[in-house]
Amino acid sequence: MLGEPGDLDIRELSLDEEKHNYALAYLDGMVDKDLVNKGIIKNLQIISEKKDLPADKKELIDEIKNNIISVSSVEKTAEWDDMTIDLLGGSTVLFIDGVAEALVMNTVEFETRSIEEPESEALIRGSREGFVESLQTNMVLVRRQINDPNLRFKMHRVGRRSKKNLAVTYVEGIVHPDILKEINRRLETIDMDDAPESGFIEQWIEDSFLSPFPQMDNTERPDKVAAAILQGKVAILLDGTPYVLVAPTTLENHMVSPEDYYERWLIGTLLRVLRYIAAFIAMFAPSLYIALISYHQGMIPSELAFSVAATREGVPFPAFVEAIAMGVTMELLREAGARLPKAIGQTIGIVGGLVIGEASVSAGIVSPVMVVVTAVTAISSFSIPSYSAAISFRILRFGFMFAAAFLGLYGIVIVYIMINIHIVNLKSVGVPYAAPFAPGFLYDWKDLVLRVPVPMMTKRPEHMQTKDSRAGNKGGSST
Amino acid sequence: MKHFEYADEKISEKEILIVIPSTLIGIGILSLPAELAGYTTAADGWVAIAVSGILIIFVVWLISKVAASFPNQEFITYASALVTKPVATVLTILFSLEGVFICTYVVRVISDIAEEYLFDRTPVEVIGLAFLLTVVYAVSGSRAGLFRLNMMFLPIISFIMFLVTVFSFGLFEMDNFFPVLKTDMSGYVQGIRASTLSYIGFYILFFYIALVRKPEKTPKMAALGMGMTVLIYLITFIISIGVFGNITASNLIFPVIEIAKEVEVPGGFFERFDSIFFVIWIMAIFNTMCMAFDVTVFSLKSVFPVKKIKLIFILSPIIFFLSMFPASYYEVEKFGSFISHYGVTLVLTTMILLTVALKIKGVKKRG
Repeated sequence: MLGEPGDLDIRELSLDEEKHNYALAYLDGMVDKDLVNKGIIKNLQIISEKKDLPADKKELIDEIKNNIISVSSVEKTAEWDDMTIDLLGGSTVLFIDGVAEALVMNTVEFETRSIEEPESEALIRGSREGFVESLQTNMVLVRRQINDPNLRFKMHRVGRRSKKNLAVTYVEGIVHPDILKEINRRLETIDMDDAPESGFIEQWIEDSFLSPFPQMDNTERPDKVAAAILQGKVAILLDGTPYVLVAPTTLENHMVSPEDYYERWLIGTLLRVLRYIAAFIAMFAPSLYIALISYHQGMIPSELAFSVAATREGVPFPAFVEAIAMGVTMELLREAGARLPKAIGQTIGIVGGLVIGEASVSAGIVSPVMVVVTAVTAISSFSIPSYSAAISFRILRFGFMFAAAFLGLYGIVIVYIMINIHIVNLKSVGVPYAAPFAPGFLYDWKDLVLRVPVPMMTKRPEHMQTKDSRAGNKGGSST
Repeated sequence: MKHFEYADEKISEKEILIVIPSTLIGIGILSLPAELAGYTTAADGWVAIAVSGILIIFVVWLISKVAASFPNQEFITYASALVTKPVATVLTILFSLEGVFICTYVVRVISDIAEEYLFDRTPVEVIGLAFLLTVVYAVSGSRAGLFRLNMMFLPIISFIMFLVTVFSFGLFEMDNFFPVLKTDMSGYVQGIRASTLSYIGFYILFFYIALVRKPEKTPKMAALGMGMTVLIYLITFIISIGVFGNITASNLIFPVIEIAKEVEVPGGFFERFDSIFFVIWIMAIFNTMCMAFDVTVFSLKSVFPVKKIKLIFILSPIIFFLSMFPASYYEVEKFGSFISHYGVTLVLTTMILLTVALKIKGVKKRG
């Protein structure tokens, strides 16, 4: 069986004075040993001594299933493949000599990481729980956030070899049925050996693989998933990863942090405004610098123009080369910082930020203004809450820099228009990526840059076309 | 996801409201104040804008009324029903010619302005080509996407216009507005003619109303969109006269951009606001050209059963070479005035033809 791996335990026993022989099979380390001992083996031994068991083998297996074994989930099956999959998943299988069927008992228990604070999405205020690698735990975490009888988990298995469990999570009656149908359809087309991370799922089912923009959200936070599900979205939980996919998403979703809602609305609104400014700087700052320095010096106020020109004196490179050099250095620092252990990572920051910046200015390689621009750009791109959106802004930033080098401000606008063309044509599981800007949904603008007070947000976002539009925060729990 | 409501190629009447100002506000508005100031005394040009505006609002309302009485039918279908198939085909081709002309004119003018206000060394051809390619990219996408682009850019355009208006108040000289209503009759007539010509572009309604899901409300929406446009034209004219006075304004080529040059933005961030203004205005011009190009492709496709992308690739080189043809600014202007006259004649003829035919057939039905 299964090529007799080292972790497969088969326990052979006999019942009722050798009348029936049976065997228990389970994978060591995947099952709760305590449960196997007390709930199965012990019961079988004690009861077989006391009680006359039916002689008929068919009746015997039902008797064992219904009256003897004390495990919460027991199933009878004759399918060898089902048994194997369950066995590999941590179930214990009971075979009885002379019976074509076997009992599959759910005894899964294995070592998991305990629930910790999500590291990639730190919040000052808000729940400290983060998803873990175990799908079961993650489902519990979502269920604990939404105690709704309509919360559904539709299970899929992905991976030709790995057969990983995947749960499509949504609230029946809120989500638009077409979105759900489409997601399920796409998930069924997945054909690969293994899905080690939800990123594989995302890349398989996303709408356009040519787009620089993330067409799905990923998060480690159960509260974020719960909020998304209640807005009519669908979450995809994959076994083995703490990152949960949320679809459909829009560009505006990537600018939102749960904290916007946890703090009072004024603070939330200010944070949103700040973030849109940050996104603007993160995308445009270096290219504007290039355009202004190399094409439109006349647009800089005279005094500033003089001082910039003075600091650039002695810098041998054109603004574009300067900006690209600093941009690439910044990306290198970030990458190095991310790969190194935390303790050394900080050293990289100091070396990069202080030493390289300072030294390259005094060596006359770059101008101090360029260092300021690069630093502000980096800080701005860190303040975008979604990591994947921040990456796409970084890519686009280089595009803008090239455009600015060729055609100045005109080039920047042309590329900006092109990106807009791309965004309006992009969809995330059928929902326009540019919603609620275009197509415009005026109601949804209440929660866009302006985040209105919570009691005023009485409806779910219109662009999600939810079946039940009222968010119901006026009824409370009286339903 | 075919049955998901976003995905189809239909639009709502709200989008008709947006598309009219998006298409009409572009290049014409930049130069119209100068032309009007030449025909009228002091600030009297507003009468011309208002009169021609009301006229055009009526025309727009009538066009959408006619088009909306054939819900979800393309121009060629309902025009054939009204004035026979050959006439409808000829009209469609004439309209697509107008679209090609508008695109040509836009490419040329935007290159000239960019050369004037942004760079002096980059060749006009490169600027024009970059712009044309962007438009081609947009038009090859979905048609719903184009309407969404209008929706994305219109707020930005309105905002920059608003900024210029607010900042220009400080430069107003009240004397520029007097004397009031001293223009003679022929001046008004000339002014009305000039401003009517600058509104050309609303002919897209003949074609796009076919896409509206429920066209009952479109006449109202179209008239409202036209009203918005007229209002913005009025504002630009008044601030041009207020800042420069009649005589200076009439001697400028693009008074609106010149205002942006004059205004001082508090904070001292920008030395030359005109460059910023023009850079943002590129989006407005982009919208104009997108709609003109798309409506051309749309109308040609109804006559010749060719793939959309093929039409785009046939049209764009033609547009590019035509646009680089005129040698001087004077020739470009002559070409522009030809386009306007041709367009207005075509639209009015078609409108009268269709309305009369609808009346006759309508009477027939009842009898």
